[in-house]
Amino acid sequence: MVKSIEEIRSSRRILAEYDYEPASVEKGYSGQTLYINLSDNSIKPKTVTQQMKDIFIGGKGFGLWYLWNAVNPDTKWNDPENEIVISSGPIGGITQYPGSGKSLVVTLSPLTNSVMDSNVGGFFGPYLKFSGWDSLEIQGKAEKEVVVFIDGDKGRVTIEEVSIDPSASHLVSEQLTELLAESEKDKKNISIVSSGSGGDNTKIGILNFSFYDLRRKTARMKQAGRGGTGTVFRDKKIAALAVKFSSLGGRSNNPADPAAIARTGVKITREINKYDSEQFRMRQIGTANLMTPMNDYDLLPVHNFKYGSHPDAVKISSEVLRGRFTQNMPDGCWVGCSLSCCKAVDDFELQTGPFKGHKVMVDGPEYENAAGLGANCGIFDPDYVIEANFYCDTYGIDTISTGTLIAFIMECYENGILNKEITGGLELNFGNAEAAMELIHQISQGRGFGKIAGLGVRRMKKIFAEEYGADPAFLQDIGMENKGLEYSQYQAKESLAQQGGFAMTNKGPQHDEAWLIFMDMVNNQLPTFEKKAEALHYFPMFRTWFGLQGLCKLPWNDILPEGNAETDSPEKIPEHVQNYVDIFNAVTGKNIDKEEMIRQSERVYNFQRVFNLRLGFGTREHDAAPYRALGPVTEEEYESRAERYDRQLKEDAGIDPEGMSTAEKVKAMRSYREGRYETLIDVVYERRGWTNKGVPKLESLQKLGIDFPEVVEVVKKNL
Amino acid sequence: MIEVNGKQVDWEEGLTVTMLLNKLNYTFPKIIIRVNGRVIDQKRWAEYIIPDQSVVQAHHLIAGG
Repeated sequence: MVKSIEEIRSSRRILAEYDYEPASVEKGYSGQTLYINLSDNSIKPKTVTQQMKDIFIGGKGFGLWYLWNAVNPDTKWNDPENEIVISSGPIGGITQYPGSGKSLVVTLSPLTNSVMDSNVGGFFGPYLKFSGWDSLEIQGKAEKEVVVFIDGDKGRVTIEEVSIDPSASHLVSEQLTELLAESEKDKKNISIVSSGSGGDNTKIGILNFSFYDLRRKTARMKQAGRGGTGTVFRDKKIAALAVKFSSLGGRSNNPADPAAIARTGVKITREINKYDSEQFRMRQIGTANLMTPMNDYDLLPVHNFKYGSHPDAVKISSEVLRGRFTQNMPDGCWVGCSLSCCKAVDDFELQTGPFKGHKVMVDGPEYENAAGLGANCGIFDPDYVIEANFYCDTYGIDTISTGTLIAFIMECYENGILNKEITGGLELNFGNAEAAMELIHQISQGRGFGKIAGLGVRRMKKIFAEEYGADPAFLQDIGMENKGLEYSQYQAKESLAQQGGFAMTNKGPQHDEAWLIFMDMVNNQLPTFEKKAEALHYFPMFRTWFGLQGLCKLPWNDILPEGNAETDSPEKIPEHVQNYVDIFNAVTGKNIDKEEMIRQSERVYNFQRVFNLRLGFGTREHDAAPYRALGPVTEEEYESRAERYDRQLKEDAGIDPEGMSTAEKVKAMRSYREGRYETLIDVVYERRGWTNKGVPKLESLQKLGIDFPEVVEVVKKNL
Repeated sequence: MIEVNGKQVDWEEGLTVTMLLNKLNYTFPKIIIRVNGRVIDQKRWAEYIIPDQSVVQAHHLIAGG
């Protein structure tokens, strides 16, 4: 039963408290980190050192540094030593440039058992910084459920027992926002971090970061989605984090040159106003604008990444989703975001589950949700996609992992590896929306077959082989995970560069390092291994930068300035890259250029690689990809695109397919493609300054200035 | 024959940019077309005739994920 706000208020019991004078932010940094240990309820400040700012910059850089110092090589995700670190970055919290409110979450992942980082919108990170804390470092585990309150207005941190049901994130966000607000308008000064029952019952738990929408009069949520951050959160028995900060202004970062920030912000906002409606229509459709082109270009994942398009994809096309979103709303997930792309469906009546009959606001669907929950599972029903989106968010499970793992289950079901006895009666064929929705409820509530599904693809592969007699080689081929993390929703079979962009990553196949599919496959701008390697160096380094600064990548290339097409490298959007250099210098007072921007990222990127090594990962074998990500596994897949594959065998591999059986062609294609992937790894490692095993060379670390003794020690063991 | 993004494509008399994009099913709304190094404005695609043996770049400026 949902408690009233008064019941929640009267249940509050303070376990620990800490009063402080909030440090004023200077040039993007407060200079302090808030450290909390839930095992002994200790709360203390830590100084952010100059070395941290110089080498790790902020955001996930700070998160990685704190986590490195908190754990040892044997620490597991559910050990008390594991931390959740949440940080903004030096640019985070400016209000003049779109996409400047992101938070970075770093922890050890229950899926990969290694370091995970996740970039999320909502107001928490900036409000945390302006409350006096560049980072929030949470270690230990509480004995009973707690809420951590950070009051940036009063300078007070408390750890409290509060009687609040943590199972549904949308209610936690609403209730705690209501609890802390002194008025309706005051609600925009509050941000809540929470997970849901999915965080308790699965390895794919997310963190929801809220922000209050004054027009809709509701707390909205953005997600730190990948890698099980919410599972760690709930394992620590955290019901929620709450921050309140009421004095946000345009100069809250006390930047060195506020006029330069304003000028750059005005320039890009004019671009967005002028060009968004004829370019990607982010204000109308958000990332769901990708649904139609992905299907048109055979890049939409369908039926567990078997195919790239489907005749029914038109039912969940960009235009269909645009018709469901409420238009002309200021849908930015941080103050002042003029790209305004986090679209929502209002007054959606739920058909299933614990909130059946409720009319809710659904944040989304974004492209990943429509592609993963929908197309990849063969479900081309917009109502299903919207309802699944809502429940994944409120239960606190990753929509990307959920889509990919359900698609995997469906292929296993259709191959007879699973049956109704195993699934508890669920007929999990591709396209069965009713069964898929019930499975989402089971996954999140930790019951039935959902208990197995919620473990993720990697663990399911082991279970299906050991307990149901499935062929482990087949499961390895079709189980779309790398490093234990499920693939995000792009069909990369025809883009060798994107295959690397998924699997040669630090955290697993999340496309935030590189999205090269069109550059490679359609534009053919990367025809050689060397060009692919250069792209797989530049773009991961460039994109890492957003995670150091507290920024969203969408305003970089989801809006194009005039004249971009005539530049030498239009895919880099050079004018926008310069914008970011200018803004960084304007906030911090430093004087970096585009080359130093990349070096900032290289330091953190390579440090993360070494961190992976320290934990027993990070070498070449962990960058292997399941064959489904590289090419056609089954004869059915080959025959669906036979003309294309036959031509490739002949023209690219030098093998005449005439007279070959489909099975022989599948085998020949596999040998060719796997060989090319290995060659790609060789050239990418070389370009990144790594050995053939994937270990950063000592001279590379020295050049970057991250050859700390403890880093060198790890690297030497692995050379 | 013409070359489009490095690949050989059949040419026909009167082939316009619009016809070429339809032939290749290039439906994305933001494509930069260069014919023999010259950018062809989108307003002219329906009328611009691509000469035989041209080198065409059709660069999709898609941001992606």
